[in-house]
Amino acid sequence: MMIVRTSAIIGAVLLAVAGLAVLTAAQEDDLASVSAALAPRAEGLIVARCSVCHSPDLVAQQRLPKDRWLATVEKMKHWGAEIADDEAELLVRYLSARYHPAAPDQLPPVDSELRKAEPLTQEPADAGPLVGVATRGAGIFEHNCQACHGAGATGGMGPKLAKNPILKHDDLFWETVLHGRGPMPAWGSVLSQQDIADIHTWLLTK
Amino acid sequence: MSESVSSSRRTLFKRMAEIIGGLAVWRQVRPALAQQAVSPETGPQIVRVMRPYDAETPVREFTSYVTPNHRFFVRSHFGPPAPELIAEANWRLHVGGLIEHPLELTLTDLKEFERVTITAVVQCSGNGRAFHRPKVPGVQWERGAVGNAQWTGVRLRDVLAKAGIRPSAKHVQLQGADRPVVSSVPLFTRSIPLEKAVHPDTILAYEMNGRPLPLLHGAPLRVITPGWMADSCTKWLTEITVQTDEAKGYYMQTAYRVPVTAIQPNSGLPGTSMVPVEAMVVKSLIASPANGDQVGWGPVTVQGVAWSGEASVAAVELSFDDGKTWEQARLVGEDEPYAWRQWQFLWKPAAAGAVTILCRATDASGQVQPQESPWNPSGFLWNGWDRVSVMVQI
Repeated sequence: MMIVRTSAIIGAVLLAVAGLAVLTAAQEDDLASVSAALAPRAEGLIVARCSVCHSPDLVAQQRLPKDRWLATVEKMKHWGAEIADDEAELLVRYLSARYHPAAPDQLPPVDSELRKAEPLTQEPADAGPLVGVATRGAGIFEHNCQACHGAGATGGMGPKLAKNPILKHDDLFWETVLHGRGPMPAWGSVLSQQDIADIHTWLLTK
Repeated sequence: MSESVSSSRRTLFKRMAEIIGGLAVWRQVRPALAQQAVSPETGPQIVRVMRPYDAETPVREFTSYVTPNHRFFVRSHFGPPAPELIAEANWRLHVGGLIEHPLELTLTDLKEFERVTITAVVQCSGNGRAFHRPKVPGVQWERGAVGNAQWTGVRLRDVLAKAGIRPSAKHVQLQGADRPVVSSVPLFTRSIPLEKAVHPDTILAYEMNGRPLPLLHGAPLRVITPGWMADSCTKWLTEITVQTDEAKGYYMQTAYRVPVTAIQPNSGLPGTSMVPVEAMVVKSLIASPANGDQVGWGPVTVQGVAWSGEASVAAVELSFDDGKTWEQARLVGEDEPYAWRQWQFLWKPAAAGAVTILCRATDASGQVQPQESPWNPSGFLWNGWDRVSVMVQI
């Protein structure tokens, strides 16, 4: 009798706790569709802006409410992450939709093919061969690559790129930038083809 | 009631059949199949963050008293410094601030101080963060951001004595050679109160388990503050500054702090009175069997480790009924002040099925490992009962 009563109480408490923590199915669907819609751009931003200092796995293991995601993104901006205001807003929307407190520990993977397929800037199919502009490349390098490859591409946590033999192997260079290599993340959804050509041209002058 | 009787009769019959059939192989603990296949728990370490590299030790390693260097958990904010900064030819330890004689020491100079060895638990303040509810931000450490190692080096007090501490000194600031990728990120600058710095057991270690300190563990020199959490154990140490105040900056004034008194979950930020994380709290872990293991009908050795910050372990208890009743484990092995204590319990499963084993420790000061630790905004000092679920197959 005592046991029955105790387990009834435990059951009631568990239900109450579950009610607080678990979102309704409709809310879950809503968050899932927000996160799917924002994923291509947001995942690219995580690589470009966050993984300068830490690998994206640190982001993906968090389960936080929106206010704490907002505080985290603000903290990172304050510490020097180069996140524009519109990028910050998008990141907070995406992160709080995908990595919210009720999200399961194991989430379905973000569709990486989708990410690769959608560079931020779409090039017209008949653009012809790309011509890089060194002066543009310098700025793009500073914003996206310098944290790892050092000022003037002289190396840092990542290898020195000035006079690096990879610059003479177009296919290898492009493959590495677009899809990443070892600890270097993929930049295909962050940099446009023109951006990459500009960086390449600038690097050849170093 | 009648069900359990009939199940034990069935069990008895099954056992006899097994013995008669010659099938009674002495199988105590069979690792979970999932773990044998792809689980990270079978690797040397469980990686939490690839860069900077943060990884915890699989808890099964804790059946051994000393945690091997290559399995010992790794945590830093920025990863190791550039190799040239800590190469022996270039590396120097600078001692400055409120002292009579500034020092600049090479590793050879340092080794002229008396050599001491201490076995001590080093534990990340965020070990167990993943178990706090509501969840909190940070590396989601589970059970293995802790280890027990033999640290050899020199007493920090001997180095400070040579420099000559001035009367106004209150804190000792510690700075390593590690640097953030982006220079706008604050340095990992920490300080410890002078009393802890001049405690005879606080050392600057250049060896770990009899080997030169590995790069990931702070080569060539790190601080060891026995009994305290690892945020005080600065790696890649290059600068010691004696001063009147605590270190300035994010990693001392904001991070690694807990509320003075218990607060409601999701509250207390900002404005709550916060104090630095210092001494460890009493804690125990079950190292074997592992989660998901299948155990046989023979007696099963349940074993693990227990430790506390500034008191010795007085008791370890296990529960097999969700904490309704507790049974004493036997404390075994080495008994050293700052190390962990190993314990064992011979368990005879009563029936087939899933069983959750709980464990809790009590230290000599009367501190008892709680069912759950007080919630705090950064998820520090988790020491809730450890739990392992196994399947008894009879």
